Amino acid sequence: MLSVSVITVKNLKKHFQVHKKEPGLVGSVKSLFKREYKTVKAVDNVSFTIDEGELVGFIGPNGAGKTTTLKCLSGLLYPTSGSVSVLNYTPWDRKPEFQKQFSLVMGQKNQLWWDLPAMETFILNKEIYEVSNENYEKIIKELTRLLEVEDILKVQVRKLSLGQRMKCELIAALLHTPKVLFLDEPTIGLDVVMQKKMRDFIKEYNRRYKSTIILTSHYMGDVKELCQRVVVIDKGKIVFDGKLEEIIKKFADYKLISVILAKEIDPKRLEEVAKIKEFDYPRVIISVKRKDVSLVAAKILDKLPIADLNIEEPPIEDIIRELFTGKNYA
Amino acid sequence: MPKYFQVIKITFQEYFVYRLNFVLWRFRSFVQLLVLYFLWSALIPQGTTLFGYDQAKILTYILGTSIVRSFILSSRSVDAAGEIASGTLANFLLRPINYLKYWFSKDIADKILNLFFSIIGIFLILILLRPPIIIQNNLTIIIFTVIAVALGIVLYFFLSFLLSMIAFWTPENIWPPRFLSMIIIEFLAGSLFPLDILPVGVFKALKLLPFTYLLFFPLNVYLGKLTTQEIFTGILISLFWIVVFWQLAKALFRLGLRNYAAWGR
Repeated sequence: MLSVSVITVKNLKKHFQVHKKEPGLVGSVKSLFKREYKTVKAVDNVSFTIDEGELVGFIGPNGAGKTTTLKCLSGLLYPTSGSVSVLNYTPWDRKPEFQKQFSLVMGQKNQLWWDLPAMETFILNKEIYEVSNENYEKIIKELTRLLEVEDILKVQVRKLSLGQRMKCELIAALLHTPKVLFLDEPTIGLDVVMQKKMRDFIKEYNRRYKSTIILTSHYMGDVKELCQRVVVIDKGKIVFDGKLEEIIKKFADYKLISVILAKEIDPKRLEEVAKIKEFDYPRVIISVKRKDVSLVAAKILDKLPIADLNIEEPPIEDIIRELFTGKNYA
Repeated sequence: MPKYFQVIKITFQEYFVYRLNFVLWRFRSFVQLLVLYFLWSALIPQGTTLFGYDQAKILTYILGTSIVRSFILSSRSVDAAGEIASGTLANFLLRPINYLKYWFSKDIADKILNLFFSIIGIFLILILLRPPIIIQNNLTIIIFTVIAVALGIVLYFFLSFLLSMIAFWTPENIWPPRFLSMIIIEFLAGSLFPLDILPVGVFKALKLLPFTYLLFFPLNVYLGKLTTQEIFTGILISLFWIVVFWQLAKALFRLGLRNYAAWGR
C-alpha cells in the first residue's frame, strides 16, 4: 500500500515564559515589583511523520508536552521554532479550508453550549462547517446510533452525565467528518463500560472513514487496544516512536516468571535463584533477565515444589511506569 | 453568512432558557428608567430651566440617554475577555468562524431584544405618565437618528472588543481596566449630563474624540439640535473612528494570538 504522510513535524519547539513566585505573602508582594521568569521547554525539538489512516497513541507523564504538541498541530499555538504540516497546511495560519478537515477533542473541556440541548450545538456546527443538509442528516444518524445517544439529544447539556456529554462532544467534533482527528484524553473520567464503548467507537470511526487519528491517554488500555504505533514523550522530547510491542522489547530487558507453589517454602530459597517481585503464597512472581529465562525456569522446576509455572512479558503499564520514573531511555 | 445567522438564533435561545432571569432583567431596565424620570422631573420643575435645558428637553435627554445607552453602550463582547482568559477561545480558533463576526452576531441578537423591550417600556411610560417629552416627527431627522445610533453601535462594539483584548496580556485582571474605561467612556459620551454645558473649548475638543458619538451625538440628532452640516461632520468623524478601532481590534487580536497559550487546557 502506498502511504501518504498527512502530518509532518520537523524540529518543533515550543517554549513558554513562566513567572516564578516565591511562596507566601512576602513572595507575592515581591512579585508585584520584580518578576523572575523561567523558560519551560514544553516541546523541545520533536520530529515525526504520520501517514494517512494511522491511529497513533501519544503517551507520557503529566506535563510531558503531549497536549502542547496537539495544540501546535491544530493551530492554537505558534511554535517557538520548527515546522509543522498537516494536510499540507501550516496549522497556525488557521485557513478555513484546513479547519474544515480536522477536529480536536479535549476530554477536559467542552464546546457544547451549556444551557442548550446538544442538538443546538450540532446545528450551529453544521452551519459553521458548511455541511450540506444531506450529509448532516446522514452523519448525525450514524453517529447517534453508534454512540447510542438518540434519546439525550434534546436534553440540556448541563443535565447530562459526563459520559453522555463526552459522547455529544465527540459528535459535535465529527459532524464535518474530519480527515484528521486529535483526541486529547477522550476517556478521562469515564467508567470502564463507557471507556470500552468510546474505544470501540474510535476504532470503528478510524476504519470507516480512513481518518488519521492521534490519541493521548493516561489509560494504557486505550493505547493497547487502539494504537498500532506509539509515540512516547517525556520532558518535551520523543523517547520512543514505534510499535507498542517494541517498547517491551526495547525497554524491558526482563521477563516475568509466575509460579504457583505446591508447598509453602522459605522465600529465601527462591531468592537464591532469582529476584522476587511479588510473593503472595502460593503465587510468586520473579523477574528474570531475558537471556537467563530458560536457565532460571529449569532451576526452579528442578529445585522447588511447583504446581504451575508461566513465563510472561511484563505488563506494558509496568514498563511505561519504570520508563517514566527510572528515566533510563537508551 | 448562514453561520452567523445561526449564531444569532442560538443566542436568542440561550436568553429564553432562563425565563425568570430574562423577565427580571428587562423589568430592571424599566424600573431604572422610572427612577431617572422621577429624579429629573423633581430637579427641574415645569417652567424652570437648567443650563439652557427646560424640563421637556432634559427629560427627553435623560430618558433618551438611558434607552440609547441600552443599545449602544452594551456589547456582549465584554465576555470575549473571559473567554480569552479561561481558554474557551480555543473553540473558535479551531473552527472556521471569525471571532469578531461571531461577537457582532451575538450583539445583533442582544440589540433586537433590547429594541423590542424598550419599545414596550417607552410605550408604558408614555401612556402611564404622559411626560412632557419631545416626540420627533421629522422623517429626515428620524432617519439620521437611526444612522447615528447604528454607527454608535458599531463604534462601541469595536471599542469594547479592543478592551477585551487586554485579556491576552493580563488574563488575571480583566475587570479593573474595563471598569476604569467604562467610567471614562460614559462620562465623555455624555451619559451623566449633556456635554454642551461644558466650556466651549473642551466641548469642541470632545467632538473630535470618538466618545461623544456613542450617546451625545445620536441624541442631539434626535432632539433636532444639529444642522445638516453638523450631522454630516459627525457621521464622518464616527466613520473615521470606526475604521481606526476596527483595524486596531483586528491587529491586537492577531498580536494577542501570538501571545496566547490556550491556558486552562
